[in-house]
Amino acid sequence: MKTVFSYAKPYTFYIVIALVLMLLELFVELMQPLVIAGIIDDGIVAGDRDVIVRLGIFLMVLSLMAFASGVANSYFAAHVSQSFSFDLRKAVYGRIQSFSLAMFNKFPSSGLITRLTSDVTLVQQILFMSLRIMLRAPLLVIGSMIMAFVVNPKLAIYLVVVFPVLLAFLYIMVKKGVTYFSFVQQRLDRVNRMVQENLQAVRLIKAYLRGKYEANRFSEVAGSLKTDTVKAFRIMEIILPILLFGMNLSLLAVLWFGAFEIRSGDAQIGELVAIVNYAMRMTGAFSMFSFIIMAFARSKASSERIEEILLAEDVREKATGGEGKILRRGDIVFENVSFTYPGATTPVLKNLSFHIQPNEKLAIMGATGSGKSSLLQLIPRFYDVSGGKVMIHGRDVREWSLSALRRTIGVVPQQSLLFTGTISDNLSWGKEQAEQEELAGAAVKAQIHDTVKRFPKGYFTRVGQKGVNLSGGQKQRLSIARALVRKPSILILDDSTSALDVKTEAALWQELDREEATMLVVTQKIRTAMRADYILLLEEGEISAYGTHEELLERSELYRKIALSQQEEEVDEFV
Amino acid sequence: MNLFDAIRRPFGYEPIIKKEDLKKDPDKKTERADNWKSTLTRIWKLVDEQRLLLIVVLALVFVSSALALLGPYLVGRVLIDQYIIPQQFGGMGVVILWLVVIYIGHSVALYLQNYWMVGIAQQVIYRMRTRLFSHFQKLPVSFFDKRQHGELMSRMTNDVENVSATLNTSFIQVFSSILTLTGTAVVMFLLSPLLTLLTFIIIPLMYVSVQWITKRTGRLYKEQQRAVGDLNGMIEETISGQKIVKAFSQEPRVMDEFLVKSERLKRAGFWAWTYAGFIPKVMNFLNNGSFAIVAGVGGILALNGAVSIGVIVIFTEYSRQFTRPLNDLANQFNTVLSAIAGAERVFAIMDETEEKDDLVINAEKEFEGRVEFDNVSFKYEGAEEEWTIRDVSFEVKVGQTAALVGATGAGKTTIMQLLARFYDANEGEIRIDGTPISSMPRETLRRQIAFVLQDPFLFETSVYDNIRYGKLDATEEEIIEAAKKANAHEFILKLPNGYDTVLKGDGSMISQGQKQLLSIARALIADPVILLLDEATSSIDTVTELKIQEALERLMAGRTSFVIAHRLNTVRQADLVFVMEMGKLVEAGTQEELLEKDGLYANMLADAKL
Repeated sequence: MKTVFSYAKPYTFYIVIALVLMLLELFVELMQPLVIAGIIDDGIVAGDRDVIVRLGIFLMVLSLMAFASGVANSYFAAHVSQSFSFDLRKAVYGRIQSFSLAMFNKFPSSGLITRLTSDVTLVQQILFMSLRIMLRAPLLVIGSMIMAFVVNPKLAIYLVVVFPVLLAFLYIMVKKGVTYFSFVQQRLDRVNRMVQENLQAVRLIKAYLRGKYEANRFSEVAGSLKTDTVKAFRIMEIILPILLFGMNLSLLAVLWFGAFEIRSGDAQIGELVAIVNYAMRMTGAFSMFSFIIMAFARSKASSERIEEILLAEDVREKATGGEGKILRRGDIVFENVSFTYPGATTPVLKNLSFHIQPNEKLAIMGATGSGKSSLLQLIPRFYDVSGGKVMIHGRDVREWSLSALRRTIGVVPQQSLLFTGTISDNLSWGKEQAEQEELAGAAVKAQIHDTVKRFPKGYFTRVGQKGVNLSGGQKQRLSIARALVRKPSILILDDSTSALDVKTEAALWQELDREEATMLVVTQKIRTAMRADYILLLEEGEISAYGTHEELLERSELYRKIALSQQEEEVDEFV
Repeated sequence: MNLFDAIRRPFGYEPIIKKEDLKKDPDKKTERADNWKSTLTRIWKLVDEQRLLLIVVLALVFVSSALALLGPYLVGRVLIDQYIIPQQFGGMGVVILWLVVIYIGHSVALYLQNYWMVGIAQQVIYRMRTRLFSHFQKLPVSFFDKRQHGELMSRMTNDVENVSATLNTSFIQVFSSILTLTGTAVVMFLLSPLLTLLTFIIIPLMYVSVQWITKRTGRLYKEQQRAVGDLNGMIEETISGQKIVKAFSQEPRVMDEFLVKSERLKRAGFWAWTYAGFIPKVMNFLNNGSFAIVAGVGGILALNGAVSIGVIVIFTEYSRQFTRPLNDLANQFNTVLSAIAGAERVFAIMDETEEKDDLVINAEKEFEGRVEFDNVSFKYEGAEEEWTIRDVSFEVKVGQTAALVGATGAGKTTIMQLLARFYDANEGEIRIDGTPISSMPRETLRRQIAFVLQDPFLFETSVYDNIRYGKLDATEEEIIEAAKKANAHEFILKLPNGYDTVLKGDGSMISQGQKQLLSIARALIADPVILLLDEATSSIDTVTELKIQEALERLMAGRTSFVIAHRLNTVRQADLVFVMEMGKLVEAGTQEELLEKDGLYANMLADAKL
């Protein structure tokens, strides 16, 4: 909880003001029974009318004071809690942005989302509450207790005799509550995950008619959320009845013994009335307790979850990085590179060494799962090597500052992911301050300009989430254009032309040939590979062959096999 | 001037509500009330079989409220006035014993009502969640195209949670507040009509001030929920698209966007919370005021002997008890408001029209697999572009394989989606075995179609379960068999836990090509009449592809299949070839016919040879 609430620190000043205002209000409330005792003992019993009027007006003034401070408190409390949650959300979101991809395997995205939304809101609520009423209840209890002692210590003792028992009880309940509510939040994660998954797989679920199946699965997940929530709340609901009962018993004790004290002349009626009044106020405050404890337990569970993110060990992304110098030439060296995915045991890449000169083009081929995409991921440091090193421009990639490194690389991923926004927005991901002409220029190269022009709104056509309203090939070309906009010195294409037809693809490659960039191209097609200067053939994470098309045809049996699988039809009788 | 500005824009928050907006309100009041009524009725319907238990809870609330009133009455009127002041101790023990019984009863009733209420509330929430989810399953694909996932998720969690919190506590609170209020008013009136009237002076004041506040908070809460949904949408998208964000070093840009949305939420939240925070303060003030009046005037009356000291004691306590429920009610009003706003957003989704099966003629029909498109035209909802599919007609006979070729964006995928009825054609008719597909339930249709989608999607479950998705009652042997056919068996065995390996969200454990192999295995096991393969092997290397080709051929034999592929050897094996261009079918025929024609297709083949 400490880390999370340290985000409230900048607002200490406002917090103090809010608390002082709340204390003012509390003070007024505590004064009231005292004034009443005065009205009864000095006014009614003494028969002094002036005292009654004076004290009555005094009470009015006090309430006005309480009101003014209450309203002011509202502003301060709202400001503090909203700013706090704003800062906290920012910190968590920023932290997530700085995570390496390995961390995303550790925290599934649905869990991250719940933390940013539901958990932050819960913590925010508790802060708001504590600035307004939460501290008020305990303070009211303590204040009432002190006042009761001031009025008549002997009677007051009877009132507080049950306190230690009640406090011990509360302590136990808080501990229980935290455990139960963190279960609840975990269940909520699962619900979120299922909803997210289902939204992403709408078509698949429909195609396989699994609507009912999914609904049943969801019933289970939602059912366990229900069971755990009920369990947590039911435990918490025990608090109030027990507290009330304890307080009521001590009230009776005060009355019983108070009666004797009055008879013996050790206490006055007004005093007894005042203490009864205080006791009832305490009882009232206690009814807040179960609520507070529930809120506290929930927010503690939530802040622990948030802290998991804020304090997560993620060594890598703390870039060892040197100055943010932009890399110009793009020569790439792999030196004995091995790589195992974090958490996995079998290496995906084993002892790879090769060298690409600036502006050279390397095609990477190999069977499904041979490590092609994994190899590419090491260049922009999505993951770090497990052994050996990757060097760009003569320096280990781990020595470049991450942003400088990534700024020189244009990545076109296998799955072309676009974001909600216009086409222009999406393209400008490549370069923030790009002119419209630059965007269009890149689109022309990526063979998508004409298509975009045909849309009624052109570059301002809105793209739905993940680009739902575009065809697979259109998405691929947009994501190529996005990479070209930044004029990268290294261009990485991960099988990014698979959905393009032959003609478009040929035109695209012609454009790409003219780009001044070192290119790494994962491809399945010999036709594409032939355009490259060299071809790297991977087999089970190792280099099976390296060389030009002709060399490989001669040397590598695997390559010949691949070539054969594609050239069969070219000897076809019809053409 | 400066002070004025500080009040208008505290801490620099720009005001949200304008004066003009508030004036517009009265016209819409009835409409809003109607909305609330229907929302509340719908929630009531969700209570369902728990209604009886709810009545028990209400009875218990009645008991505990009565006991809560009886306690102070016995203390003030009996214990103080009749025993302590006259110094009479005989029989005091009995009264105390009665009080103990009352207090026990109060605590038990309190616990039981909460115990059951939590159960009821969570059951209602559970129903709301599962119904919303099953409704998701019935909504057409176009619904999801239009919305951000995060925003929808926000309704499923945030808004539902809002309703949940309210049902948990507010329901009992509201009811007990009303009870306590009436009870207290009656007892007070019996004790001293004059003092009671004095206490009541504050009621109109309360009404006016609470109205002033809630008029504002209602709007503000709505704005807050909207801001939450918007922010969540953005969060979901950027977190699931993290790889791209990183690849393009767009963290600062994403952060900026996040801050703008977060700022909007902060502003709405500030105003909503500030105004909502006024309510208890106003209540407290009126409360304290009435306390002062009762004490002052009551004191003077006591001087004349018009009331007893005991009455003043009870009254000061009661006037608190009287205003506390009002206070609670006012407080609850806010949470209830935000819950209603949440429920409305949930119900809004439930009111979205489902994929409906009208004109159902052939409910249970076993296909043979003849597919006809008859002048079919289609345009995506809300798309201003021209037709995605225009006047397409063709026929594929039972067991034939048709390849769809053409430039990207030509409408190939759309043809498949129309056949699976993800979307319905705007014009023309699609028939299977002569029966229009619009006349049969989607279930009948989709049960006999297997669709391997362009983007292979895998669930965060085991490999085993992912393949089983094609046929839920498949045995382990069948699954392994399918995996072998799809050439996936080998790599599955290499995964940490083989078939039991749980695939992670972004699937970084396995490659895109392997994902495709798994989704082919999934289709193999489904054993459909009609098979749709949309770029099913695009990320698979050609050597592996050759290996699964045989399995695919076996799968396609005797089945009507549609194939989209850019690999020529896949296309070359098709019986029919349909060449699409900008939504139109420009060439159709067998391989031989098209080559003879020497048109587009022949050109494509020639190009490919380069």
